Amino acid sequence: MAENQQNLNNEISVSIYKKRWMKFKSMKRGYYSFIIIVSLYLLSFFFPVLINSKAIVVSYNNELYFPAVLDIIPGVSSYYPGERFGQNIPGEADYRKLNKAWQEENSDNWLLMPLYQSDPYEDITSENNKMYESPSANHWLGTDNTGRDVFARLCYAFNISISFALLLTVINYIIGISIGGAMGYFGGKFDLILQRIIEVWANLPMLFVIIILSSILRPSFTLLVAIYTLINWIFLTYYMRAEFYREKAKDYVAASISMGQSNRTIIFRHILPNSLVPVITYFPFSIVAGIAALVSLDFLGFGLPPPTPSWGQMLEIGLQDINKWWMVFSPITAQFMTLLLIVFVGEAIREAFDPKVYSRLR
Amino acid sequence: MKNSSLVDVKNLHVHFPVFGGVFSRKINSVKAVDGITFSIGKNQTIGMVGESGCGKTTVGRAMINILHHVAPDVEIGGEINYHFDEGEVDFTKLNPKKMQHYRSKVQMIFQDPFASLNPRMTVSQIISEPLQIHTQMSKKEMLDRVGWLLDKVGLQPEQAQRFPHEFSGGQRQRVGIARALATNPDLIICDEPVSALDVSIQAQVINLMMDLQDEFNLSYLFIAHDLSVVEHISDKIVVMYLGNIVEMGDSAEVYHQPRHPYSRALLSSVPLPDPTQKDRNRVVLEGDIPTPLNKPSGCAFRTRCPLAKPDCAEDIPPLSDTGNDHFVACPYWEEKF
Repeated sequence: MAENQQNLNNEISVSIYKKRWMKFKSMKRGYYSFIIIVSLYLLSFFFPVLINSKAIVVSYNNELYFPAVLDIIPGVSSYYPGERFGQNIPGEADYRKLNKAWQEENSDNWLLMPLYQSDPYEDITSENNKMYESPSANHWLGTDNTGRDVFARLCYAFNISISFALLLTVINYIIGISIGGAMGYFGGKFDLILQRIIEVWANLPMLFVIIILSSILRPSFTLLVAIYTLINWIFLTYYMRAEFYREKAKDYVAASISMGQSNRTIIFRHILPNSLVPVITYFPFSIVAGIAALVSLDFLGFGLPPPTPSWGQMLEIGLQDINKWWMVFSPITAQFMTLLLIVFVGEAIREAFDPKVYSRLR
Repeated sequence: MKNSSLVDVKNLHVHFPVFGGVFSRKINSVKAVDGITFSIGKNQTIGMVGESGCGKTTVGRAMINILHHVAPDVEIGGEINYHFDEGEVDFTKLNPKKMQHYRSKVQMIFQDPFASLNPRMTVSQIISEPLQIHTQMSKKEMLDRVGWLLDKVGLQPEQAQRFPHEFSGGQRQRVGIARALATNPDLIICDEPVSALDVSIQAQVINLMMDLQDEFNLSYLFIAHDLSVVEHISDKIVVMYLGNIVEMGDSAEVYHQPRHPYSRALLSSVPLPDPTQKDRNRVVLEGDIPTPLNKPSGCAFRTRCPLAKPDCAEDIPPLSDTGNDHFVACPYWEEKF
């Protein structure tokens, strides 16, 4: 008995979510895909100091400047005129030239350039770039029809695509879960009326709405997210409504009501955690759908305004001259790899949430 | 004798409307409970038996007032008068705000111990939930109380941080009992608390419930379909058929000398652990229980009753005292079949 007691205390008790996380970790393909995609995405916020034509640090006349670092912070200008660093050119400083000049002069001024010295916006107006350059040490994946570096654009587009999909998914989830949950929980006339509205709303031809809206309004990142959210939250309500209906009828909710628990606590503490399984497993696939949506809109020319780096635009430009293989090959490969990684993650999440193992029918 | 009553149910009706047609008008209603009257004394156990679908669960849920939640359109009539120490209330006429105060007085134990505990919460969270609502205990006091309750229901306080899926069915039901006990209720409604458990576990849980009743002065409404279990725990037995009470009386008497033809048939279906007793008069009822959507006129049982007479179709027979506080809703109960 004493020994038995000992065992009881030593065993660590874990919640279902923890068990699922452990199961997810045990699925190597999904877990490593998850690590790769998350670290790449986190890394992509620091691309301005890794892939940029601006210097990370400039020391000029004993003063320090950080033009590339300023690029990381959105909304902050990293513009320094060439005159600031004693460069006799109009407009922004050319840090590559500056670097060369200072090294030749052996001056006390110095600067530190990023690893990859091109940025996604720099086109043929810069002496460095020519149109349709094939891959080389300077431009790993060549340049496009306006001389912009394909590799740099590819990398920056990665960040934009994932951010777009994430933001879209999170907003959809918040709206869809709240409305679907409310419909399932309160039921009755509220559910009936809202469900009819949703059915009508869901039958809007979405692609045309987007095309019309983005040809009237100037498309931007936020506008595109808003337009897509208009209709995409609906699919979440289907799941949540059904889940809430099902969970609401279970005895643990009845127990909660019988002890006088408030509606809010019942929804957020009891029903919601128990009805998230379908939406969590759906999450990675929703991201995939978001990325694909942005790519197709950009490809059709109704997406983000140029010169924002985007895979869809790169693909469209590439297809205009298919002989320049690097322009088609790169965005397709990047997109394929990204979606593949996310699908692997989704597959592993689905597997980890498979109820067969932890259910009572074990 | 325990005669001061805790709750008097008077002429309780629970009807679930059925909507249909183009404009979803009310076209009919399921008369789940159709005018029943009984009372539960302090420290008393009332056993409620009947086939599935006869409305016994609905009675239980009406008595803790949770029917509106799942069926907002439900129509409840009659009175459910509670006589608590601090005053009398009728649960059918309370607004939700006033109801809140009395929620701690009446608790429920559910049939399925797998479904009645939230799988995302630890046992400690589950048991302390009613404490959070009804008391101003500190975290420390609450944990102490949870440990004490776990000890009372025969679990180890060390298991408080575990999740329901780590327990067996009997243990989970004990957790459910601990949760019901947490706020010191006067009445616990037990909705088939043991029918999902193994027979050996059933006995343990029943004995635990009887011990707790003595210790905490509880009253039980014990809903079940297993008559031998009900006879063991109850002081009085109420037999229901299609939303009506057909027989009500002292538990030993109803069990050993059932008078209503339905009870007689029900009792004769209980298996006896004695193979030598072969001369038992077994009654096998013909046909199915009619739908509560369309109940037979008069006595609801007449369609299956071996004693049925033409005048059974006319009036609903009232519950009449046949001596010794034994009520039967059949004028022909003395006849043999």
